[in-house]
Formats: sequence, structure tokens, C-alpha cells
Amino acid sequence: MINWIVILPFISALVMGIVYLADTKAKRYFFYTAVGVGTPLVMTILSFVLISQLMNGAVTIHGTLFQWIDIGDFNISLAFMADRLSAVMISFITFIGMLIHIYAAGYMKDEEGYGKFFAYFNLFMGSMALLVLSDNPIMMFVGWELVGLCSYLLIGFYHQDRANIKAANKAFILNRVGDFGFIMAIAMLFVSLGNTGFTFESIQANIHTLSPEMMTLIGFLLFVGAMGKSAQIPLYVWLPDAMAGPTPVSALIHAATMVTAGVYMVARYSFLYVEVPDVGIFIATIGAASALFAAIIASYQTDIKKILAYSTMSQLGYMFIAVGLGAYSAGIFHVFTHAFFKALLFMGAGAVIIALHHEQNIFKMGALKKHLKLVYITMFIATLAISGIPPFSGFFSKDAILVAAFSSEHYVIWGIGTLTAGLTAFYMFRMLFTVFYSQEKADHTLQKLPSSMTYPLVILAIGSATVGLLGINEAYGGTSWINTFLALPDLKFHLSFAVEYMLTALNVTLALLGMGLAYKLFASHATEPETHTLWKNVVINKFYIDEIYEFLIVKPLLLISWLIAKVIDPRIFDGFINLNVWLYKKAGFVFGKLQNGKVRYYALYILTGVSAISYYMLMELGVR
Amino acid sequence: MGDHILTLIIFLPLFAAVVMGVFRVETKVLKIGSFLSSAVTLLLVLWLTVHFDPHGGMQFVKDLPWIQNTGIRYYLGVDFLSLTVLILITLLMPPLYLYMKHEERKGYWYNMLLLQTGVTGAVLSLDLVLFYLFWETMLLPIFIMIGKYGNGMHRYNAMKILLITILGSMSMLFSILYLGYMYFETTGVWSFALQDLSHLVFNAQTSILLAAGFLLAFVIKIPLVGFHTWMAPAYGSAPTPAVVIMSSIMAKLGVYGIWRFGFGLFETTLIYYAPFIIILALIGLLYYAIRAITEENLRKMFAYSSGSHLSLIALGLILTNIYAWSGSLYLIATHALASAGMFIMIGLTYKRFKTVQISELGGIASKAPLFTFFFAFFALSIAGLPGTGGFVAELLIIIGAFKTNFWIGFFTATTMLAAMVYVFWMLQRTLFGPDNSSVEFKDLNLREMIMLFPLVFMLLLTGIAPSLFTPMFEPQLSAYLQAVLDAIGGL
Repeated sequence: MINWIVILPFISALVMGIVYLADTKAKRYFFYTAVGVGTPLVMTILSFVLISQLMNGAVTIHGTLFQWIDIGDFNISLAFMADRLSAVMISFITFIGMLIHIYAAGYMKDEEGYGKFFAYFNLFMGSMALLVLSDNPIMMFVGWELVGLCSYLLIGFYHQDRANIKAANKAFILNRVGDFGFIMAIAMLFVSLGNTGFTFESIQANIHTLSPEMMTLIGFLLFVGAMGKSAQIPLYVWLPDAMAGPTPVSALIHAATMVTAGVYMVARYSFLYVEVPDVGIFIATIGAASALFAAIIASYQTDIKKILAYSTMSQLGYMFIAVGLGAYSAGIFHVFTHAFFKALLFMGAGAVIIALHHEQNIFKMGALKKHLKLVYITMFIATLAISGIPPFSGFFSKDAILVAAFSSEHYVIWGIGTLTAGLTAFYMFRMLFTVFYSQEKADHTLQKLPSSMTYPLVILAIGSATVGLLGINEAYGGTSWINTFLALPDLKFHLSFAVEYMLTALNVTLALLGMGLAYKLFASHATEPETHTLWKNVVINKFYIDEIYEFLIVKPLLLISWLIAKVIDPRIFDGFINLNVWLYKKAGFVFGKLQNGKVRYYALYILTGVSAISYYMLMELGVR
Repeated sequence: MGDHILTLIIFLPLFAAVVMGVFRVETKVLKIGSFLSSAVTLLLVLWLTVHFDPHGGMQFVKDLPWIQNTGIRYYLGVDFLSLTVLILITLLMPPLYLYMKHEERKGYWYNMLLLQTGVTGAVLSLDLVLFYLFWETMLLPIFIMIGKYGNGMHRYNAMKILLITILGSMSMLFSILYLGYMYFETTGVWSFALQDLSHLVFNAQTSILLAAGFLLAFVIKIPLVGFHTWMAPAYGSAPTPAVVIMSSIMAKLGVYGIWRFGFGLFETTLIYYAPFIIILALIGLLYYAIRAITEENLRKMFAYSSGSHLSLIALGLILTNIYAWSGSLYLIATHALASAGMFIMIGLTYKRFKTVQISELGGIASKAPLFTFFFAFFALSIAGLPGTGGFVAELLIIIGAFKTNFWIGFFTATTMLAAMVYVFWMLQRTLFGPDNSSVEFKDLNLREMIMLFPLVFMLLLTGIAPSLFTPMFEPQLSAYLQAVLDAIGGL
């Protein structure tokens, strides 16, 4: 059964791909919708069966397709394993994936390449399932690369616009920079302990045979992979550009699922990371820096999707704070709740964009609350959730992370996290108030939204409001069910309930302050700011990171390439060869001069030759 | 049938060429005849593959005296290494003949037939003089095809590849003759058979010089950095079928040569050269890849790409461990398939647009989805995307490199990044973007799909289920590796 969760989407992607390529002009709306949406539906059902089996006491569920390769000790199977971690991941991925597929059936309805879109989308679901359910690092890496490919294909979906393709390239290339670290980590892991088997279970059993230095190095390199995929500093620059893809893509791949793969990986290797706390602190630091950095930029963005993109990066930062500090369950819990409210925010944004005929600038929207009532209510819930207002889901997961940071005595990281929480509330409500409140802009002739686009919003809104209940901790009378269920090697910290209440109060106060400030600034009247101070310019240009990359990496690479083409190859390598040719010619010229056709010269040569031979015979050989 | 099968496989194309040449057949007959000869050869090779014993050593051996008083023998045999290259060349010929369907120049077809005989002969020869003969035979058609049917500065470029390659062959010939003479000195009889010569013992100095003779020929053929300036001009000028054979097969013969003769004759001496080859290969990996970024001509871009991958193959070979060796062998096969596909796609681009300059292309995706799919598929398989065979090969080589040491591993892993930059930038400019050119662009027709399909199928199969292929070569490969390691350890 577990095998089918992975195989099915690949098969349906293949079928849709072939059908699409056979006749790209044909509409076949019903066929593509049935196959495209049906696949994640079946996946969801299977995943729920899987997780219910685990809840009823099964420890892990295994499935093997076939042996992939067997050379020396390198014996890898295409095999799957669902433990509690991967079962939780696959359940919400398939569930939210299914909702976004339904949504996409409405969103993409009139697009050219509808079939291609669903082929890619199902391919993504399969790759993501492979990534999550794989029982060994090699197959996980295959899934990891394939989700990157799908991301590339879908960002560049509107391929006539060069800017989109550029964004797609950027995403793939920066992801591959991360994968470069990932593959090195895997290779070293295999070389060190591959002789005892190379599944996650056998690696976990033998991890102690590694030297601490080796573990540190491997832990660091794995995280480099995570930095790329989960858009953390310094490999994040692709994520905002990735919004060039259709909005369902942004919701599914660049918010709810793929970008959280990095967090999943750190949790998957938690048995390694608990051994190397230094790497963990590095991870948490990067996470905190990314969280704050992205929140600052988000506060100045005007494109609704870019705001959400930076917010995703910021939330991913929180997740890395958690897994870096050893609170793996808290990190996964935030992945889980985030998937609901972020998918909802993107889908709501997509609905607004469609209704306004592809307008993305929030300052050109306004007072939409009465026109798009359902979208407004659901997005409001999601915004409350992401801002950490109790009792919505984001509150519980973010609270768990900040408590972990405080109780493990990383006060700087905790401080940044708390500050960012306030900022989050500010920029999210800035967006919400500007779009749905503020003043009426232009005359809206709103496009009607199909019901396939609105119903998923409702389901996700219910989720965003309630899924946090799975993780209510002891301080609030819960049992931290999700932590117990995941059974990850969390580091335990003790914090009195009193301190915890104070921390919560602080967070909520800051969130409400951010919300209030946003209300004051944007609720009644919001216009795009005209004057730009230096600071604003710097932030709006995203701290010029793109330009710095261009200058430090792209330009030098092109310069070296040019040098090879214009100098090294023709002047040095070919130069050496041509020098020999030239010398050969010159020698020929000199010998040619000797052969000048004048008998006197030839007589001279003969005389010289005869003299030399005579001399040799006389003096050396002693002939008399 | 087993007794003469190798002879049949080698000489069937040449025989077909001679018969059709003597009867001065029409072009139409020539086309059908060439295709049939390649199809029959393919069937023969399939038969051979089915009857090949992965656990046996050298098989289907044919050993006949040829030039008796100098001990030169007609000595053929097939093992995992020659079988790999043999399968590749026979698999590629029928699609190439399909590609050439509208080619009316007769010489073109005759040269392709001769080329197949040269290449198959070279990989199946176990007598060094015989090997040398076939090695030079395969250069001849390439020289003619570039010089006569090429484009750009084709005469100059043909002369360039000829002279530089011959420099290598001459040094190899010198080494071969000296080895034979040494054998005569020690045993009193002449022989040029590989297995006889491999028993010779020399002092270190002689061995290093003799090995240099062989290595020069092979590194020029590959080519490693510094020996490569013939490559891009020759690829750029050559007609597509010739480029496919050069990139997919002939370059691999350089690696094959090191594998067969380098390790067969000079295991211990290769250790002396290993650091140089490793450094040149690692430099080459990045040097060619970076050079390819700004290349505007698609054929030349993938010439450099080919150099980059061949450097990786050579690297894996020199690292002498099971993963690196398996990876190299696997990459020989998968890169041959991918680059054949890529160069055919470039050829099809040229047929439609009359240019392969990237700056003059773009927007193909809007007009020709099938073409775009195949083009992107081959480009991505060259970049080593998981699901295609190239990924398996690169993964194995990276593991083998890390087994050697961290820094070699680190630089080898840059292959993950190297190909990607030029491939993706190229795709961006070639396939995508606004559909603004006025040229009518026909999508792939059925014949073109039929010739590309086997390549796509094999690339996917090698990527998804490597376990179908590894048992074919792993036993012999590890036995050979063990023999090499024993010889090195015995020092």
C-alpha cells in the first residue's frame, strides 16, 4: 500500500504527459481533472490509512519495490518506510496537496497547457512522496532533486516570458548548490558506514561509529542542502522570484510542502544532529537570521505574492530555530500548522488576483471585504494563525518554538524570534488591511470565482483554526500529543508554567501591537509610499543581495569563461601547438636555403661531409 | 555461430560497403543497404549479449596467426568493457542512418560504414598491432567527413584533428613496436598479443616512457585539458552523424585504451601518472564546463560538455575502486546515449533553422512541444538528473572519489554544479522566451521520434533500474579491479 502512494502519482503524471504531448491543443478538461485531482485524493486516503495503522500500534511500515543498485557495499533498494515522522508529513502533504489540486482545477481552467500543468503537479506529488517516504538517503536525494525539477518546470510554466524562465533557472541552480552539499554528506556517510547497510534505520544504529569531526562535517553539509531547498540565508534569493509560477504552485510547492523538506531532513537525521549540538546552534542562528531578515523585507513589499514568499522564508526560519535547538517535534509541528495557513493565504491571494484580473500590487487593491466575503473571512483566520494569536494553530506551534529557545537559554535567538513574531503580525495585517479594508481603488469589475476555488479555502480555514489543538502543551492543559506521537529525540528543557505564561503574554502583546499598528496605518487609507529614505531603498531592493551575487559569482564565472575562450585556449594551448608548427616551418625554410641549386655549394657540402667522416674514422676508429 | 561472430560484427559494415561500392549501387539502395547492415549487426550484438557470460573472462576469443614471422595475430575477444562500447556503437548506428535519411551524398554513407568497422575492430582487438590498425582506420572517415562534408573552416579543422591525433598514434605505435621487440628479446619469439606483453617486466624508467607513448594517444582522444584544442573546432565543423560518433564513441575509446592497455600493461606505472591524470581531470571537469557557459555555438558548447564528462570518466578510472570504476563504465554508456541524443537534437535544430547559434534561437517551446520535450530531456540527462542513467554514474564516481579522499571527493562533486549552469542557461535562451521568429518550425515527425525513442528509453531504464545492468559487468569488473590492485600491492 505504501508503495502505491509513491508509484501512483508517477504513473498518472506519465499518462497525462503522454496524452498531453500526443495532442497539445486538445482541451480534455474532464480527463485531466479526473486523473489529476483523483490521484492526490487516492494518495490522501492511503496516507490516512497509513497513519491510522501507526496510531493503532504499528511501529514502522515498510514496502520495497525492487533493488535499485548493488555494487560492492552499495546496495540500495527503491524501498519505503513510514515511521511516525514520515507518516505525519505524508498525511498533511497529500491532504493539502489534494485541496490545492482541486483549487488548481478552477484556477487553471482556461489556461493553455492545462494537461501539462497537472502532469507536472502530479509528478511533484510523487517526488515529494518519494522524498518523505524513502527508507534510505539515496532515494530521498532522488526525490529531493525531482521536487526541484518540478519546481523548475512549474515556475517556468509561462515560458514565453523570459523573466519566468530566469526565475526558474535561479531556483534550480541555487537548489543545486544546496544539493552539492547534500550529495557530499551522503557520499561521506556511505563511505564511513555504508558497509553495514545504508537505510536510515541502519545508519541510525551505526551512527556512533563516526568520529565527532565527521559527524559535524556531515551534519553541516546536510544542512547546506536544507538551506537551498528551504530558502535560508544565503541561498534564499530564488524563493521570491519563484512566485513567477501560477499561484497554486506557489501554494503547494513554495509554501506548504517542498520548501519544508529541509526541516524534514534535519528531523529525519535528528539522531545525527543530537550528537552535534554546535551544528544545531549554527542551524538555529541561520534560522533566526533568516526569520528576521525576511520579515523586515516583507514589511516593505508591495506584491501580495512576494509578501507571502518572504513570510514563508521567515516561518521556515522559525522551524530551523526549533530543529537547530533540538526541539524537533516543535519544528515539525510548525511545518504542519504552517502548511495549513500558508496554503490558505496563497490560495486566498490567488483568488484575489484572479478576481482582480491578475493584479498583484496590494496598493491597487482595497475594500475587497464586501466583494469577496468568503475569501476575506478565511484569509483573516489564516492571518490570525500566522500572527500567533490564540487559539489559532500558529499560536501553539510558534509558542512551542519560542519556549524551546528561551528554556535552552539561547536568549538572543529567542529575542530575535519574539521580535519577528511582532513584525509578522505587522506585515501580515498590513497586507490584509490594505487588501480588504482601506479605500476603494479603481472600479472593480470582479471576475466570479468558481466554487472549486472557494471550498478548499473553507476546509483550510477550519484546519488553520484548529490543528494547533494537536499540540497544546502541559502549561495549557494539553498533553503535547504531537510531540509524543512523533517520538523524536527532542532535547528536554524545563520551564515553570509561570515563566511560560509570561512569555506567551509577551508574544501575544507584541502580535497585537503589530496588528494594531497595521490597523492604524493601513485600515482606513493605504497608498503606496512615494518618498523613499535610504533605509527603505535598501530594504525594497532586498539589501542588494541579488546584485552582490551577480558581482561576486556570476560576473567572475563569465569572465573566466571569456578568458578561457579568448586567451587561454587560443594563446596558450593552441599557441604552444602553433609555435611548434612555426618552428617546423622555419626549420624547413632553413634547410630549404641549403638546397639552393648551386653546384659550388653542393661541392662544399660533400667536402665537409667527407672531411667529417675521414676525421671520425681516423681519430675515433683508428683506421689507417 | 559463436566461433566467427566477432569477425562478422566487425566486417559486416565494411563488407556491405565494398559490395555496394563495387556494384556502384544507387543512393537509394545504398541507404537501405547501410541501414540493413547496421540492423543485422545490432541483432548479432544482441545475440552476443544474450550469450555473454558475466562471470567468464575474455569470451568468443578468435586467435589466428596473421603475419607469421613477426608474430602479429588476428586476435579478438570480448569482455565487459568491450561489450559496453560494442553495444553502444551498434545501438547508435540505426538511429543515425534514420537521421541521415535525406542525405544524398554517397561518400557520406560509405564513410559511416567504414567508421563502424573501425570502431568495433578497435574495441575487439587483443593484438596491439591489430588494435593500432583499427584505431587509425576510424580516424580516416572522420577526417573525410569533416574535411569534405563539414561546415565552417572544415578543411583547417580536419587537418588539425588529423595531425594532433596522429601525433598521439605515432607515439603509441612506437611503444607498441618497442614492447614487441622487448618480448622478442626476452623470449626469442615475436608477439604483440596483449596477454603476452602484459607479462613483460621492465625497469621503472622504460616503463614510464612506454606508458607515456600510450597515454599520449589516449589523453588526446579523450581529450584531457591541454590536449584539447582540436576538439571544439572539429565538433563544430563536423556533420552531425560524425559528431555523434566522435562524442559518444571515439572519445570513450581513449578511456577504453587506458582501461585495457594502460591497466593491462602498466598497472604499477599508472600509479606514477595517477596524480597528473587526477589533477588534469579535475581541472578539465570545471575548465570545460565554465568554458561552455559563454559558448554561443550549440555544437561547440556540447563539445566542451563532452570534454567535461570525459574528464570525469577518466577520473573515476584512475581512482581504482569499485564504485569509481563502475561509475566510469556506467558514465561511458549513459553519456554516450545522452550526448548522442543531444547532438542529434542539435542537428535537427540546424535542419530547421539553418543555425546552431544560441543567440538566433528561442521560443521553440511555443511552437514545438515534442521537440522541446526531447531537447530538454537530453540536456537534463547530460546534467545528470535523477531518473536518468547519468545520475547513477555520477553518484558512483562521487562515492568512489570520497572513498579516495575528501578533497578529490569535493572537487568531483562539483560535477553537480558544473553542467547545470550552461545547460539551464542554454535551455532558457534556446527553447523558451517569446515566440518571435518568423521561421516556421516543424515539430518532430514520426521518423525522428522513432530514432530518438531508443535513446530516451535506455536513459530512463539505466536511471530507474540500474540493477538490470550492473550484474552484466560487476563480476568481471571487480575481478579485473582485484587483479590491478594485487599488481599494485605486489610492488
